[in-house]
Amino acid sequence: MNVSDLRTGSLVLCLWALTAAPLAAEWPVYGGDPGGRHYSAASDINVDNVAQLQVAWTFRSGDSSAHVEDMAKTSTQSTPILLPEAAGASLVYCTPFNRVIALDPGSGEQRWSFDPQINRGGDRPFRCRGVAYAEDAETGVTAHCRHRLYLSTHDRQLWALDAQDGKPCTGFGESGRVALYGASGHAPGDVSNSSAPVVAKGIVISGSTVIDFTRAKTPRGIVQALDAHSGAPLWQFDPLPGHPQSGSANVWAPVSVDSEYELVFLPTSSPSPDYYGAGRIGDNRYANSIVALDLKTGKLRWHFQHVRHDLWDYDTPAQPILFDWQRDGVSVPALVQLTKQGLVFILNRLTGESLWEMTEQPVPPSQVPGERAALTQPKPIAPPPLLDSFLMPHDAWGITPLDRADCRNKLENLHNLGLFTPISETPTLMYPGSLGGPNWGGGALLAERGLLLVNVNNVAFSGRLVPLGSDDTAGNGPPAAGKRFRVVMQGTPYAVEIGSLQSFLGMPCNPPPWGKLVAVDLYGGRILWETALGSVHEMGPVKSPFHIEWGTPNLGGGIATAGGLFFIAATMDRQFRAFDIDTGKTLWRFTLPVDATATPMTYRYRGRQYVVINAGGHHMFNRGSGDYLYAFGLPP
Amino acid sequence: MIRNLPALSMLLFAAISHATDIQVMDAQGNPVPTAMVTASPLRLPPADLSDDGYPPHGVTNTAAVTLTRFTDAEGRASLPDAEGGRLVRVRAQGYVDATLTAAPRATDLSVSLQTMTPEQYIASFPSNVWLSQLSFGGDAELKKTFQLNCAFCHQQASPFMRNERTVEQWLAVFERMNSYGARLPTEDHLAIAEHLQRELRALREQPETVPEPRAWGEFLSGVSMTEWPIGDGFSQMHDFLLHPNGMVYVGDNLFDRLYEVDPNSGEYTVYKVPHRADDEVGGILGNRFTVFPKMYNYMGVHSFAVSPRDGNIFITPSMQQALLEFNPRTKVFTLHEMERGYYPHTIRIDAQDRVWFTLALSSQVARFDRDSAEFTLYDLPARSVKEWLVLKSLPLLFSLDPEVRPQPDPDREGTGLPMPYGIDVAPDGRIWVARLYANDLAVIDPATDSVSMIEFPYAGPRRLRADAQGNLWIVAFQDSLLVKYEPESGRFSEYPLPVRNEIPYALNVDRERGVVWVNGNQSDTLLSFDIATEAWRVYPMPRQRFFTRDVEVSEKDGAVYTSNSHFPSWQTEGGQPTLLRITPPSP
Repeated sequence: MNVSDLRTGSLVLCLWALTAAPLAAEWPVYGGDPGGRHYSAASDINVDNVAQLQVAWTFRSGDSSAHVEDMAKTSTQSTPILLPEAAGASLVYCTPFNRVIALDPGSGEQRWSFDPQINRGGDRPFRCRGVAYAEDAETGVTAHCRHRLYLSTHDRQLWALDAQDGKPCTGFGESGRVALYGASGHAPGDVSNSSAPVVAKGIVISGSTVIDFTRAKTPRGIVQALDAHSGAPLWQFDPLPGHPQSGSANVWAPVSVDSEYELVFLPTSSPSPDYYGAGRIGDNRYANSIVALDLKTGKLRWHFQHVRHDLWDYDTPAQPILFDWQRDGVSVPALVQLTKQGLVFILNRLTGESLWEMTEQPVPPSQVPGERAALTQPKPIAPPPLLDSFLMPHDAWGITPLDRADCRNKLENLHNLGLFTPISETPTLMYPGSLGGPNWGGGALLAERGLLLVNVNNVAFSGRLVPLGSDDTAGNGPPAAGKRFRVVMQGTPYAVEIGSLQSFLGMPCNPPPWGKLVAVDLYGGRILWETALGSVHEMGPVKSPFHIEWGTPNLGGGIATAGGLFFIAATMDRQFRAFDIDTGKTLWRFTLPVDATATPMTYRYRGRQYVVINAGGHHMFNRGSGDYLYAFGLPP
Repeated sequence: MIRNLPALSMLLFAAISHATDIQVMDAQGNPVPTAMVTASPLRLPPADLSDDGYPPHGVTNTAAVTLTRFTDAEGRASLPDAEGGRLVRVRAQGYVDATLTAAPRATDLSVSLQTMTPEQYIASFPSNVWLSQLSFGGDAELKKTFQLNCAFCHQQASPFMRNERTVEQWLAVFERMNSYGARLPTEDHLAIAEHLQRELRALREQPETVPEPRAWGEFLSGVSMTEWPIGDGFSQMHDFLLHPNGMVYVGDNLFDRLYEVDPNSGEYTVYKVPHRADDEVGGILGNRFTVFPKMYNYMGVHSFAVSPRDGNIFITPSMQQALLEFNPRTKVFTLHEMERGYYPHTIRIDAQDRVWFTLALSSQVARFDRDSAEFTLYDLPARSVKEWLVLKSLPLLFSLDPEVRPQPDPDREGTGLPMPYGIDVAPDGRIWVARLYANDLAVIDPATDSVSMIEFPYAGPRRLRADAQGNLWIVAFQDSLLVKYEPESGRFSEYPLPVRNEIPYALNVDRERGVVWVNGNQSDTLLSFDIATEAWRVYPMPRQRFFTRDVEVSEKDGAVYTSNSHFPSWQTEGGQPTLLRITPPSP
């Protein structure tokens, strides 16, 4: 940490504090605010009364009945936003098929819907995390599309819709839509979108999702900025300049924007292919990074690469969380970045410098011919990793002596030198695997306390490179659902085989909890508490009549409120929970019809606070799908 | 080596006459003295590494030799000319490293160093000064226990040891390390974890309390350091031998390979140590490193000594009940099998060509008579009945498969493991041995076959050496001391090391010049002690986390050699083990 920079930062921050709007009890953007804090100032629902929380209304999108054949390929991840009064005060969200639906926030009754009729070709599962709202100053105050919604679709269309009626804005692109990069030359689904676009100062920015493990050379992960009024292109950013034999490094996770400093923060993913880097020697800048661009020009302001030469699929999975670091009387515009590898990076968001001492961790070399793993990887001296990436044979877990012995035997035959052990032709522990650690659910931040709450996966995977010609049949099934999959990495000498590390009984080989909630003191650089997140009572061949709180893999995030609560679903037990943010104690829970792998949101509407969660299951969990939106409130 | 010295000197002078001069300045244009200037080739020489990443048996490669010099008071240093381009790294205390590329036959280079921020400066301090501030709650014995059991492979309090960890994460580290062979007493795990968690955090929050490391001395401008990278990040270049034939023989302890390095040409040849068909990885000790991507230590090449009679090299294979002999002329290995004794450790050969080595696990000293090919074992006394029972039960324990063999729970005293470690032959022919856990010395008089024990009044006698007068020089590992023992008077003298909280592993004595050389593994240094003047000199290592376990001295010219054997080696800066030669300035 540079003291002089901190002082400069504090002066700047004072100016910022004067102009920054206080956090309201609304939820106008995907992450709660443009900096993705997942925090609401609403406190009607609090630790004293949350036990009384009940269903206020429910809504079903109709996808389950209209798209029966495709529901198994969906994951429901949408977080609704609440539009301001001027924009109609609707609660708006998208379904996995990119249908946009506006509801009455108080009753859940549908006001309008829009179906972009996406191209459903390809193997890419369907998902939609949200839409973005902006008021278009170039459109008349009472004109159609003065208030706009922006939607990036599965088939790479960026739509602008009127927030009042859901109809396309005809002056935007071609009849309300712009075909984004990748309109031709790629198979359907190779490039798609999952996260909501962001809009600021008349600019709409969209990343992309790229299938990056099946080929060495994949589409470039170009980030695009367009004029929010017309859809005209403004700038592009290639996160992997050079490296003609690689691609991706795309931005699939939510993006953050700092309008005050006119910065956009991109969480970039790994370059292709995920697990083999002999064709992309070097650090692979700006993959696996947080990249700060000038909002208006797209010029690089700084970058911080948290994984060099990725061989583990350690994408930057979570939205950078913007906040004001305040310690020892010094205030700095900052961001906190969660990573799949379980590290928490806290950076000066104007410079990219770490606010904790950054150490270079020596890491093991690769044994794969031609591969050159990085010698070191960055690690902040604090806070500590959110999970311990070693799993030794003596740590093997089992529900019986037999499956424990089976796991011990498996671990004795895995290469395991901790975080960043390169995968090789010999089975290698991947802990965390590509699931993380943290993932796209990100974290919730109580900025004034520097308290970060984050849900963490804690499941070990194993993987290996399989030389082509030995046995290169493609496999099946996502590792998170307990299956192994094998995929040929075209353009490389290998297929990759990955699966969760489990005993013959199907139980994880690492000790529980397999999912947890962690509270991190960012200023103290320490973990305050952690608790299991999720019950495994529905995961066995027979459902248990009582909860077994050993934690489960989890996808989706949580939100914190001024009521001292942290709301999260995300787990493989259909539960929606409220935790006490000070103690980690579960104060309330509700059983949903299916798993809810989305991040909830909360708002006050006509004097009542609601908490809303989108419940539709996740194809990776393979536990059923649905099309539910649940709103909870205190009894009227 | 000796016969090649004139040629080497000629080369050196010739090189200097076409030197590349480098000027090192600070941001204000002032010269930076004692800056370390390290040049390495831009392009690595081609190498055959087709045997699991290593050269096949008998194949000769050329090392990418690295040279280090230090700037003088004017901030200038000279590098010998090189035909190829070089990467030059400039490092100075308080400055951010700078790297530049030197074109072939470049004559003048200059570099401006940026001053570190206060935070960067403190973070750059070597491990020892951070470690010096850990008090373990004032429990000095607990700190010694930690140092004894945790500092023989790694630097402690290095940047990545200082990372915030929860108590649970520290406990998992200890359990993992004990599974690798550390012996941190279980009963101390929690207390040490809590102290580390609390005290490292306190240091992080008040870094200004960390004392500055010792400043690099002006004498360094007369020092030259040469490194020969050998092996890879999985290797462990443990002990080695400076042979009268001019070669340096380095043992890769984890891969059963002998590296024959020619310091004149930079060429090295690898000889793979053979093992019996039914031997297993890890030898009779069993493989404790099953999770490592590769491991090939059927024998465990440990320590080296050369026969004064024929120049054959004797090697202790720690994982076997045996002694290895290597003929450097025919390149043939001979295995001398023993029926008793466990963990052949450090080895020396006396003037009568008798081979002496410690047996670390069975608390014995072995003597190998080359003419009769017989072993004689000297039992060193147990410290207690329990220890005696443990030692006597070793044959039974070792008759069991390593996977089911019970492992005694270690305690602070190392009960059952007095561990005879260092050994040396004094000028009078007596054999001196240090027992690491027992804190005592043993002396064997070959004339009478008598064994005497002497209490060592410090903690952690690891390796020892005798000087020309027959005095013993011993490192007290966890007491951070160099100790002299005078057999004539029975007097011990202690010499605090010139760097804080160093944990000295080994040493050697330049009998010709009366200089003791001591490993400085926590401070990234090699330390020299002039016996006559009792003056220390501190030599900074060209790589961080260098970690050395052996020192050899060229009596002819006073150059010293050491090898880089951090475990694991990939944690060394650059991820590459090396053989290092330091050519000190003339007295």
